[in-house]
This record gives sequence, structure tokens and C-alpha cells, in this order.
Amino acid sequence: MATAASARAKRWAAARSYGNLAPFLFFALFPFYFMLVTSFKSNAELYNLKSVPFWIQTGAITDHYGYLFQRTEFFTWIKNSVIISVVATSASLVIAILAGYSLARLRYRGVASFGTAVFITYLVPPTLLFLPLSQVVVRLGLSDSIWALIVTYPTFLVPFSTWLLMGYFRTVPREVEECALVDGASRMQTLVKIVLPMAVPGIVCAALFGFTLCWNEFIYALTFVSQSSQKTAVVGVTADLIRGDIYYWGSLMAGAILASVPTVIVYVFFLDYYVSGLTAGAVKG
Amino acid sequence: MAVGQRVLESAGFRQEPGRLTRLRAWWEQEHVFGYGLITPALVLLVCLVAYPFGMAIYFSLSDYWVGSPGAFVGLNNYREILSNDVFRQTVQNSFVFTAIALGFKTVLGIWLALLLARNLRFKRLLRGAILLPWVIPTALSVLGWWWMFDSLYSVVNWTAIRLHLITAPGPNWLGQTAYAMTAVIVVNVWRGLPFFAITVLAGLVSIPREFYEAAEVDGASSWQRFWTVTLPLLKPVLAVVILFSTIFTFGDFNIVYVLTRGGPVNTTHLFATYAYQIGLQGGNLGQGAAISLFLFPMLFAVVFLQLRYIRKE
Amino acid sequence: MQTRRQFFRVTAGAGAGLALAQAPALAQKRELTFFSWNHFVPASDDELRKQAEAFGKANNCTVRVDTVAHLQMPAKIAAEAQSQSGHDMLRTASADTFLYENLLVTLDDLVDKLGKAAGGWYPFAAEMNQTKSGWKGVPWFWVSFPGTYNMAHYKKAGFEPPKTWDELLKQGKVLKKQGNPVGIPISHCSDAHSTYWSVAWSMGAKVLEPDGKTPGIKSEKTERVIEWYKELYRDAMEPEVLSWDDAGNNRFILSGKGSWIHNPISPYNSALANKQPIADDINHHNSPGGPAGQHSAPPILGLGIWKFSKNVELAKEFITYLFRKENFDAWIVASNAFNHPPLKHFADHPIWARNPKFAMLPKEAEFAHPRGWPAHPNDAVQRIDDNYIMADMVAKAVNGMPAKRAMEWAEEQVARAVKGQLKVS
Repeated sequence: MATAASARAKRWAAARSYGNLAPFLFFALFPFYFMLVTSFKSNAELYNLKSVPFWIQTGAITDHYGYLFQRTEFFTWIKNSVIISVVATSASLVIAILAGYSLARLRYRGVASFGTAVFITYLVPPTLLFLPLSQVVVRLGLSDSIWALIVTYPTFLVPFSTWLLMGYFRTVPREVEECALVDGASRMQTLVKIVLPMAVPGIVCAALFGFTLCWNEFIYALTFVSQSSQKTAVVGVTADLIRGDIYYWGSLMAGAILASVPTVIVYVFFLDYYVSGLTAGAVKG
Repeated sequence: MAVGQRVLESAGFRQEPGRLTRLRAWWEQEHVFGYGLITPALVLLVCLVAYPFGMAIYFSLSDYWVGSPGAFVGLNNYREILSNDVFRQTVQNSFVFTAIALGFKTVLGIWLALLLARNLRFKRLLRGAILLPWVIPTALSVLGWWWMFDSLYSVVNWTAIRLHLITAPGPNWLGQTAYAMTAVIVVNVWRGLPFFAITVLAGLVSIPREFYEAAEVDGASSWQRFWTVTLPLLKPVLAVVILFSTIFTFGDFNIVYVLTRGGPVNTTHLFATYAYQIGLQGGNLGQGAAISLFLFPMLFAVVFLQLRYIRKE
Repeated sequence: MQTRRQFFRVTAGAGAGLALAQAPALAQKRELTFFSWNHFVPASDDELRKQAEAFGKANNCTVRVDTVAHLQMPAKIAAEAQSQSGHDMLRTASADTFLYENLLVTLDDLVDKLGKAAGGWYPFAAEMNQTKSGWKGVPWFWVSFPGTYNMAHYKKAGFEPPKTWDELLKQGKVLKKQGNPVGIPISHCSDAHSTYWSVAWSMGAKVLEPDGKTPGIKSEKTERVIEWYKELYRDAMEPEVLSWDDAGNNRFILSGKGSWIHNPISPYNSALANKQPIADDINHHNSPGGPAGQHSAPPILGLGIWKFSKNVELAKEFITYLFRKENFDAWIVASNAFNHPPLKHFADHPIWARNPKFAMLPKEAEFAHPRGWPAHPNDAVQRIDDNYIMADMVAKAVNGMPAKRAMEWAEEQVARAVKGQLKVS
């Protein structure tokens, strides 16, 4: 009797949880649903004031996707975005791991102020930076190629990743490291073989975060690159599908959804790491 | 290296303190190793952040036009901006925008995290779904919102009218001051809430169960448990999340630029969008840089206070 | 080839910096690059690229045309100006030629040659490109800004298209009651200023004095403009005009709800292209006038060449090529009458006469002025538009601020825009 009652109470609690989550889910997902519906609507229906906006009444069409694939370099943009995001994130991670370990674990003069300095660079707004930075990019001979972005993206990835990883490295017990050092391992070996494996969730978390930031970046990607074949997905979709006072709503929405797929896939695989990585990084930061 | 040494030693070679060994010993010193590891990051940040940042400061102190350097004018640009009521409006907007958006993100974020922490079926799926708005490029998702707020085709108004909540044509989301601010805040909350919720969730997961059990034994209600156990233990995580969220929100550009371009009558301009308008579109780089730079000390103050708080905790 | 060159650039950049990176790519064909906007009528860009390719073939070079959305252009142009590198040519809009006066090549000889060959330039298009230090751009085309109305709604109300802004107000009151309001944006978008300038001029008001330095807003005439806007907003429009972007009025007329807008012919062209039945109902008429006559402030676009370009001569040849009669004609046809030629002899293209809905468009040239008129355009004009000063003045007034205070506010903002003017070196 008692177990039946408690089971019912449990089910009731679960139902309440779902009920409470429902508005959040709706808020989070409705815009995507709406974008999806829009991307399959015919223009005639889209601009008909009398039609119901929530679903498709006059038949789904794939013309907007066709336009995207045939009339734009959509796949090139996606490829560029992937290359830029992967390379820039990996390079930033290496730099951030070294810096984060140094700041979290080693004692030397100025370590605290270095830590603060790295963090402060994160506060400089990109809208302020991009004009002077464009001069630097030209001086490095990188303008108008995806390398311009690969080199500049670490400016906002390194501070954040360093900060996150610092927190993570602090959770690794000192004794483990000291043991390794006593056993004759070099400092670099200790870092690579002992500390890094223990910090995997933190690294994955930083990588995910970095990948997202790269993928979503807009202002540098717009100003440092101008050939269609070198554009990123975000800039390509907005730059080529907004034509003055006529918007290609269907294709824009189609592009927005498709350009989101790669990051969504990455998150689906690494979600748990993300959560646990944030835990340590944030708590000990 | 180490292996090679052993081989040499076992072969009877007496090890002179060779150059390599000395180098290695030098490298193994804690401070040398420390400086060595941080050098790449410093080089990068000095060349690609500090140097352009210094240039931007120089812009703001001179009569600099895009592509055309001008004379040093001291604090003239700052004075000019401060006396402009559009800028004062921008400052006010930025604080209203940040404070309200942050408030909603904090309260809803904690609430959502508590819900997600429960042991439900489809837990992963739910968390993934909640995270979506954070994952998807803002420049694109904001376009979707724009379409939803369109003056003619707004799905929000369409629904509200059909449900008899409002009379046609309904609020003009991006054209009336209060509604426009509401709209940009809603989109910012939509975008930032997942980051908040997931990070707080991470903090929740790390709270040891014993704390709750102890509270339960004391007969605390769930509300009391939240106030006495959860919230105090979440404080450090919250401080970090609020810190980052402040930075993101204060410096926001995309949402306002796409939805309203600062309108109606400059009541949604933020530092970034106003600086863009003055400095880039209008060519007055000196003033544009000065506007952007106002953002910096404000952020710095906020961050300084929060960092101090975090360290104390 | 592409990737090898990039690799070379990267290694060079990382290694030896500037000197090596700029080593001439000897084996490579000359490449001329042109930065332009996404034309509002896509077929126009297709034709442009076609001509670019043909020019490349004939001159043993390649011409690359990069286009982006028009709102994204300022950031990119500023970055190119600042870093002194980027494309060879750019599409200038409005007062860009003045904003970048120091950085653009003077094109006096070219402009002269092209002008003489085809009956001369329309003065309004010329002024937009004539700075104190010479012609900084070749006028490329202008975009007529007529009244666009829905014939069915007009017929139902028993009206003829309005000749004056006051008539529009009268009609709008009836049309709104009929369920078909009119629409003029009072918001942060470029259509909002195009209309403001024409209304203001037609009522005898101005923004700048002829010296180009003194704000000239505070006057009874401007007050009248504001009162006209207030009445129109209250009795003939709906609040949505306060939130419109450049596409807002297009959607408004295409949805079938609106009866009248002030806009280029792009909504009609897009309705035709998408086979929307509303195309049959849409028609155009010349921009309305007022007590001070008929005036229009059409968008004027030009072609500029950066001083840092290494292909200045080639760029000039390319411009000459675009201005060949047969090429320009083909380009007008591709845009379906959207691109108006700044040269008098090109303007008699049959495309306008053939379609009765376009027939009146070339006439707009007779009463068009560059923004800033009666002052000669200058870089401050760009800031007046970019900061949406005039649209905001009107918006403040329709939201309840007394007209006098709104004018004072705008006068102060214009004074700021003028105060820090670019020093020309």
C-alpha cells in the first residue's frame, strides 16, 4: 500500500517536473520550429496575411534549400567554418593548456598579475578591436584568407580557455604531480602524462566552448575576408541572402538551420563532458 | 633524453655536465618553466589584443577618421560624447538592458537548473534541447526572432490576437520604446539562459548529497533546503556565471544591430551598436573608439568587484 | 594554386613579414577586384559578373566581384580604408566619396571622357562624386524613388495618385478607414531619410544652409513638415512604421494591406519575379511635390578606386567597359529598370517607355538632388543620415515631443555631425 502511494507520489513529482520544464522547452525550441516551418513554406504562403503561421498549409517545398545549394557556395562556407573552428580551437587549447598550467600550478614572480592580465584581455570588445586588428592582419600578409581568422580567433579563445583550465588544473591533487617529479619525470612529462589525462573533461569543455565561439563569430569574419569562397557559414548566409529591401526569408532560415547542425552534433556527443568540465572549472576558478 | 643518458652511462661514458643537461636543468627550474609555458599566450595577447587596444586608445585621443589619421586632441572626443544626449541615452540603455536581462537569466537559470538536475527520463535529451539557443549562431537565430517580431507577420501577435489576449494589430514590438527594449531583452535572455542553466547545473551536480540528507533529517521543507543548502553552496558558481554573463550582455552587438539598429529613437542603442554607428558608418573613428572605451572601465569595475568576491569565497 | 599562394603568404607573413609577403606573384594573371553590394535585383549582379568575365577574357586578366548585404558594407569598407589594403574598386553610396576623399583616386579625366561621350552627367549624380579635390567616383547609377500604390485600393476609394504630399495626407485618412493605410518609415533605416529629404524640400525646409556647415533646421517650414508627419502618422498610418527596416514597406505593400509607399520599384520587381498576383495591382507615380515644388532624394551610387590599388589603370578600363552603351543597356535590362543611368543619353532606354508602370520614372531625374541640398554634399551629410537624425526628430515628435523641442534636438545633433568634419589632406 505504502509503496504504491510512494510510487504514485514519485510519478506525480516527475509529471510536475516535466510540466515545469515545458515552458522552458517551448521558449528554447519554438524559434527553431518556426524557422524550420518557414524554410519549407512557399513564398506565396509566407507572405499571405491570412495563412496560419504555425504550420504549412499549401504543401512543403524544398526550393529554399535548392536555392541555397545551387545558387550559393553553402558547402564551401561550411567547410571553411569547420576548418577555421577546428584549427583555431586546437591551437588555442595548446596555448591555453600551457598558460593555464603555468598560472595554476607554478610559483614564480608575477604569476598573479599575469593571470589578471590574461583575464582582462577578455573584456576588450571586438567591435573596438577589429579595425586596428585589420591592420595587423594585413601586415602579417593574411588578409582575405581563412588564415586571417585562424590567427585572430585565439584572441578571444585563449583568455577564456586559460581561465577555465586554470580552475581545472587546481583540482588535480598536488601530490600526484610531486610523485611524478620525484620519480624523475620532467616537468613537461608530468604535465602531458599525469595532469592532462586528469583534466580531460575541462579540456573538452574548453574545446566545445571555443568551437561554438569560433563558429558563431561574425565581425572579424565579415571584415577580414571578402571572397565568397573564403567566407564562413554565418557570414556567407547573411551576406549573400539579404538583398537590400528584399529578404530571402525561406533560404535564410534554411541556411540558419543547416549552419547550426555541426555545432549541435558536437554538443550531443560531448554534453556530459561539458557539464562536468564546467563544474570543476567554474567552481574552482 | 632520459633513456639516452642511461644508455650512455651504462656504456661507461662518464657524463660531463654537457650543454644539453645544463639546458635541461635550467628549463626544469620552476620559474623558468612557468615563464616558458605562459610565453605563447602572452605573445599572442600582446600582439593581437594589447597592441590593437593601444591603437584604439590612441584613436580615441586624436581626431582620427577612418583611414585618415589626425592631430592629437586629448580628451576632446570623450568630452564631445559625454555632452551628447544620445550617448547618455546609450549608457542608460546599456544598464537597463544588462540589469534586467541578467536578473531574468539568474532567476530563471537557477530554476531551470534545479529542474534539469532532477533524475528524469530523457535527461540528456532535455539538457541538449535546452542548450540549443546557446549553440546556434546568434547572427542567424536573431533573424528568426526578427521574423517573429515583424510588424505585419508577427507570430506572437497573431497568436495573442487569436487567443483574444490583445486586440489587433497588437504591440509593435520593434517600434515602440518599451516593447523594443522588451524584445531585445527577451532575445538576449533566450540566448544566454542555457549557458546560465547548464553552468549552474554543473554546480548543483557537485553538491554532495549528504548536505541535503542532513537538512532533510532536520525536517526542512524544499524551499528551506534551497535557501539554506543549495544557494549558499552555489554562490561561487553563480558568481562566475554572472561575471561572464555580464561581459556577454554588456558588450552585445548582434541582437540590437539586427533587430532595431538602435531604434526607436536610440532607445535600444548599446555601446557596441552606437560606437559602430559613429565610428564606422559615420567615419569618426576617434569618437567611435572613445564610445567603445567607455565600456571598458565599466566592465572592469564590475569584474573587479566580482573577482574580489570570488577570491574571498 | 590558391592554396599554394596562401601558404606562401602565411609562411612569408610569419617569417619575414611585410617585404616578402608583398613579393609580386609573377606567374599569376592580373586580378582586378571589385567590392560591391548585393543588388536589390539579383539578376543585375549576374549581368555585372558576366560583363566582368567578358572584360577579363578580352584583357587577359580576371575580375573578381565580391558582394555583400548593403548593411554590411560600411564595416568592410572601413576595414579596407584603415588597413590600406583590400579590393581595387568599390561601390560608393551616398557621401562615401567625401568620407574617403583622402583615400580615393581622382578620376577627373575618366569622368570627363565618359560624360562627353554620352550627353553629360545629371547634375545631382555628378555633385555626389565631386569633392573639393576632384571627382572621387564615377556616378554609376541612381535609383528612382517614386510613389508606389495599390491600384485596387485607390480605385475603391475613388482616388487618383497624389500629386502633393498634402494630397497624400488627405487620401491616407480615407484609405486608413478603408483598412488600407499608407506607409512611410519613421525609423532607423535608409528609406526613412530618402523620404524625409523629399518631403522637407517639397515644403521648403532644409537641413543644412548652402555653406554646408550651418544647421538650417529650425524654421517654420520644418515645423510644418513635422506637423504633416504627425498627422499622417496619426490618421493615415499605423504604428508599425516606427519599426520598419528597409524591407518593412516592401512587405507592407506586397502583403496587400498597404495602399501607398515611397520606395524604389523593387517590390514590384520582386512580385513579378515571384509571380505574386499583387504585381498586377501595383503601380508607380512620380514622387509627390509641395508648395516649394517637386523634389526627390534618390539613392546615388558610384564607382571608386582606392589609392592603394595596384591596378588603377585596369580599374579605369573596366569602368569604361561597363559604360559602353551596349553593356550599360544590358545591365539596365537585367535590373528590370531599377538601375537608372546617370548619363543623359543612356536614359532614353526603351525599357521605361515600354512598360506604362515605368514610363514616368526617368522624369524623376529632373527634380532630384543629392542629400544635403541646397548645400553641396559633404561627409557630414553622411553622418546626418547614418545617425538617423531626421528620422529620429520626426519619431520624437510623433511620440509626443513638441515640434520646437524636436527641432532643437535635431539642430544640435546636426551641429555635432558638422563640427568634426574630416580634414582633407
